[in-house]
Amino acid sequence: MGGLRLAVLLAAVWAVAALGCLYRNVQGYGRRTLYARPAGDPGRGVRYAFLQGMAPWAKESVRLNLPSYAAGLAFHAGLFAGFALLLAALCGLRPQGAARAAAGILTLAGGAGGLALLARRLRLASMRGLSSPDDYLSSLLCCGFVLLACGWTRTAALEPAWLAVAALLLAYVPLGKIRHCLFFFITRYQFGAFFGRRGTFPPGGSAHA
Amino acid sequence: MPETMPETGELQARLDRLTEADFQRGLEVFRGKLGQAEASFLNSCVHCGLCAQSCHYHRADPALENIPAHRLELIASVFRRNFTLMGRLAPGLTGARPLDRKMAEAWLEAVFGRCSLCGRCSINCTVGIPLPRIFRAARAALGAMGLVPPDLQATVDTALKHGNNMAVTREDWVETVQWIEEELQLETGDPAARLPLDRQGANVLFTVNPREPKFFPLSLQASAKVFWAAGEDWTLASDGGWDLTNYGLFNCNDQEAGRITRNLVDAMARLGCRTLVIGECGHGYGAARWEGPEWLRQSFPFEVKSILELMDEYVRDGRIRLDPARNPLPVTLHDPCNLVRHGGVCEAQRRVLRGAVASFTEMTPNREQNFCCGGGGGQLAMARYKRRRLQAGGVKAEQIRQSGARIVVAPCHNCIDQLMELNREYQLNVQIKTVAEMVADAIVPAASPSEVSHDHR
Repeated sequence: MGGLRLAVLLAAVWAVAALGCLYRNVQGYGRRTLYARPAGDPGRGVRYAFLQGMAPWAKESVRLNLPSYAAGLAFHAGLFAGFALLLAALCGLRPQGAARAAAGILTLAGGAGGLALLARRLRLASMRGLSSPDDYLSSLLCCGFVLLACGWTRTAALEPAWLAVAALLLAYVPLGKIRHCLFFFITRYQFGAFFGRRGTFPPGGSAHA
Repeated sequence: MPETMPETGELQARLDRLTEADFQRGLEVFRGKLGQAEASFLNSCVHCGLCAQSCHYHRADPALENIPAHRLELIASVFRRNFTLMGRLAPGLTGARPLDRKMAEAWLEAVFGRCSLCGRCSINCTVGIPLPRIFRAARAALGAMGLVPPDLQATVDTALKHGNNMAVTREDWVETVQWIEEELQLETGDPAARLPLDRQGANVLFTVNPREPKFFPLSLQASAKVFWAAGEDWTLASDGGWDLTNYGLFNCNDQEAGRITRNLVDAMARLGCRTLVIGECGHGYGAARWEGPEWLRQSFPFEVKSILELMDEYVRDGRIRLDPARNPLPVTLHDPCNLVRHGGVCEAQRRVLRGAVASFTEMTPNREQNFCCGGGGGQLAMARYKRRRLQAGGVKAEQIRQSGARIVVAPCHNCIDQLMELNREYQLNVQIKTVAEMVADAIVPAASPSEVSHDHR
């Protein structure tokens, strides 16, 4: 077990270091100086992008795909819960009582959400056309991690398998699309700043008013 | 498949002749268009596919090729192959692919043939990837490989050669302005009503789309009437600097776009005007207001405004008085993507119209969630994609039909051209007008000439 925990720790260090390198690499592309006078506040745009702009009613794509949106929310909540459990496990702790029940529900829902999204990817021809092997591998690793985390809340016997999958998942984070755990925030920031500067975000708050 | 046009063969021949040096040049230009923001975008797509229905091309034809994420993936796959370690080490796993002839053809179809750069997918992306910025980088790379559709490039070349994109001669332009001036004087009954040319030190330099003097003189006359009623101190340039269009925004050649923008900047300096006012044109506004300073790498020493913002100020400040009863038919408003979603001018035109028409109905959706009419991104200049453009415009046609309006107001001459075609194609039986035309019809003339200060006109 000690070896597996060490593997998880090393994989985590690798993930953080590699994501850091990716971040530096992207920074190396340089930041553009903008010359056009702003019409709005980029900061307000960023706040909108991360708050109201994430709400289901703010995006037609979400309103039209509420089951997928709900599955995605559950999946990500399950992943966060799974990593919280992983941290606890590495510290030799095991949640009890209400905490255990909550973690179990979150990870179970997360696993179900992840599997539903994977099934959608497999079922729809358009989704298969959009997907590369990385998409399937990333989904499988995340689903496996979350479902094993759920199992671990019920039985400690699953810990070796769970830690092994966790190590694989962490090792894979910077290599495939799971790197969006970093780039989502950068992109969302840029998105909000761009439309905020132009006065489009927040909607109805145009500086052209 | 694209329709068979004479230039289709030319483009195919160019594709067939591509060499390794061409691909390298394309990659270099592509790389040069990427900043840290764009590099982040290329690392962010999770292929969720939720963007599909946000695209009017996909709504009209739900094919894989019409999913914005698919178009992005074509470009991101080349990015990974050439600019990331994993893409080089494990191309099969990450879906990394080289920029070769087949990929160049796929890019051409994706970013010129199936995209109007409207950005609706950005707003609806679960991550928030501004996809048009990546598509522009790909268009620029294709341009470096000589793969801009020839008729689109011809529009840019005409603007570079003649100072306007329809090769209107100075003589024709000046004569047209003088003729419209006479018409304005007849309409207003005011012999002092003017369309001033080259008035030094005027507050406003007004710029127009060459379609106005060529095909829609009433549109220019309407703007002039608004300026007359407001007592504005304004001018037109008689030479370079009157055309607001800039198709460099669409071929994505920043140098050429910058040279076209320079006409406006030079006219402002030559005439000593304070505000550059862009007539009703979405891409023209985007080019002058937002992209021009970036292409020229300078902050402009003057303000750039849309005429919509100016008219809004006139109404707010009581400089013009409107009677909505003069426009009794139900009206709806089209939101040009470059003016609204990418330009941030969302409310001014609405406030103006509410004061100018008796019955105003919004399309659904509207503002930053509007659907592109299908004519943006240079689509109107690329004949080979005409059938697809009209098919994609079906979404807008349905929006118009649902609104129940008899008049569609579109503050953009490119959109107007597309909407006129949609009007015929989908038998909408609507009138299509600019905001200024509606305002001009609603203007309540001053009771006496003394109520309008004409000292500068």
